[in-house]
Amino acid sequence: MLTLYHWEPNANSGKPMLALMEKGVAFESHYLDLLNFDQHSPEYLKINPNGTIPALVHDELMLTESTAIMEYVDEAFDGPKLTPDDPLERWRMRWWMRFFDQYFAPSVSMIGWSVFVGPSVRDRDPEVLKAAIARIPLKERRIAWSKAIYNTFSPEELDESRRRSAVGIACLEKALSERPWIAGNSYSLGDINGFNLGYALPLAQPALCNDEKTPHIMKWLRAIYARPAAKQTWSLGRTQMAARIKFLEG
Amino acid sequence: MLELYHGEPNTFSLKPLIVLHEKGLDYTSHYVGPTDFDAVPATIRDAMEVQYNPEGDGPILVDRGTAITESFFVSLYLDEAFPQVPLRATDAANRWRVLMWARFVNEVLAPAVVTLGCHKYLSPWLKTQNRAEIERAIAAMPTPERRSGWTMALDDSYSAESIEDSHRKIALGVKKVEDALASGGWLAGPAYSLADIDAFALLAPVSGLVPDLLGENNAPRMTAWLARILKRPAVAAAFAKSKTGKPLESFAPGPEHSRWG
Repeated sequence: MLTLYHWEPNANSGKPMLALMEKGVAFESHYLDLLNFDQHSPEYLKINPNGTIPALVHDELMLTESTAIMEYVDEAFDGPKLTPDDPLERWRMRWWMRFFDQYFAPSVSMIGWSVFVGPSVRDRDPEVLKAAIARIPLKERRIAWSKAIYNTFSPEELDESRRRSAVGIACLEKALSERPWIAGNSYSLGDINGFNLGYALPLAQPALCNDEKTPHIMKWLRAIYARPAAKQTWSLGRTQMAARIKFLEG
Repeated sequence: MLELYHGEPNTFSLKPLIVLHEKGLDYTSHYVGPTDFDAVPATIRDAMEVQYNPEGDGPILVDRGTAITESFFVSLYLDEAFPQVPLRATDAANRWRVLMWARFVNEVLAPAVVTLGCHKYLSPWLKTQNRAEIERAIAAMPTPERRSGWTMALDDSYSAESIEDSHRKIALGVKKVEDALASGGWLAGPAYSLADIDAFALLAPVSGLVPDLLGENNAPRMTAWLARILKRPAVAAAFAKSKTGKPLESFAPGPEHSRWG
C-alpha cells in the first residue's frame, strides 16, 4: 500500500510526485489543501504528527522530508534509475539538492509566502486564523505561517531572499552551461528537485530568468516539462498555481 | 590518490577522517589551521561547490580532480565509491533513516553547536590574533555569508536569542539520540552507520559546551553511545590528526541557522 499526501505539484510536494511518476510507480494520491490548513487537521496529524507535507506512507512506514523521500522511492521501487551510477555524480546530485533545499528554495519561497500564501489566507476571520496557527506542531512552521498571515517578514529578510534568489539563478545557469543535467550526463533526482523550485522562476523573476539571460535554465525547464511524467504530475494540480506551467509548452 | 583538506578533527572535518580510517583508505592529509585562509589552492577554492559550501570552511576531499564538499555527502561519497566496510545498510528504509539523521544533524544541530563553539573558543582566541590581518582575510572571502560568519566570530556578536536557540536545538538533538537508542543498537538501525559518525562529530564537543545536558543521569544512552564510538580504532586514528591536542575546542563559523526561524 502506497499513499502520498501532497498539495499542488509545486516545491516540496511536487518532488516525490514527479519521482513516482518517472518510476511508473502506482500510488494513491491524497490531496491536502495547504491554504485551508488541511495539513494541521487532527486526521492528518494522526498520520504525520509534525503536520508537514508531503508524507509518503508505504505499508507500515511513514516517510517525511521530500528529498529523502525521493531517494527512498528510487531505491525501494523498480523502474528507471533516477540516481546516477557514478558516485561522483551522485555526490553532485546531493550537493545541489541541499543547495536547492537550504539556500535557494527557502529564499524563493519566502518571497512566495509574502506575496501569495499570506494574501491568500489573510482575509479570513482573525479568530479562525489565530486558532489555525496555534494548531501547528512545529515551531518553525508556526513562525512561517504567522509571518505570512500577519505580513511581518522584515524588509531586510525579503531583500536578502531576493539577493539569494538571484545568486541561485546565476549558480544554476552556470552549472547547466557546463553539463546537460544537474548531476552530470543523466537526468536525476537533482533535476526533479530543481524543476519544482525552478519551473516558475521565469514568471516570478522575469528580469533575471529568461531566454536571453539564462538560456540554459530555460532549455532545461522545457526539456523536463516535455517529459510525460511531468505532464502527468502537473495534471494533478487543482489551482492556477499548477496551471501556470503551461507557459513552458510554447 | 585521495586528498583531504581538513582542520582539527572536530565537527565537519572529523566525519571524513573517521570514514577514511574505518575503510582503511590511503589519503594525503592537508592540515588547515583555523586562520590558514590561503592553505587551499585557488583552483580548488574557486569551485562553486567550495564557495557555496553550506559548512563554510568545511573539509574538502579531492578525488579525480573534483573538489567534493559537505562533510556528510563527502562521507556518503566515500561509502559509495569504496564499498569495503559498508557504512550504510542495504535496505531502503534504513538508508532513508540515515538521510533523515544527516538532515537534522547538519541543518539543525550543526549551526547550534558551531554557534556555541565559536562563541566559547574561537572568538576569545581571535582577540589574541592580529585583527587587521584577519579583517583583510575576511574582506577577501567569496560570499557575504562567509564574511558575516567570520565577522560575527571576530566581534563575538552572537545575540542572546541565538545562544538560547542553540541551547534549545542541542537539547532537542540529545533527546532525539536518547529516544533513538531506546530500542538498542545504533541511530539508524541495528548496525553502526554514517548516521552515528555524522551525529557523533557534532555531539562529541557538546560535553565542553553544555555539560549539564550529558552525563549518566541526564543522557545515559547517549553517554554510553559516545563512549562506544570513542573506543573505535578509526575514531582514535582520526583524533590523532589533531595538532593542538584539543580538537573538541576547534570551531570555524559557517553553517547557518534556518532563516525561517
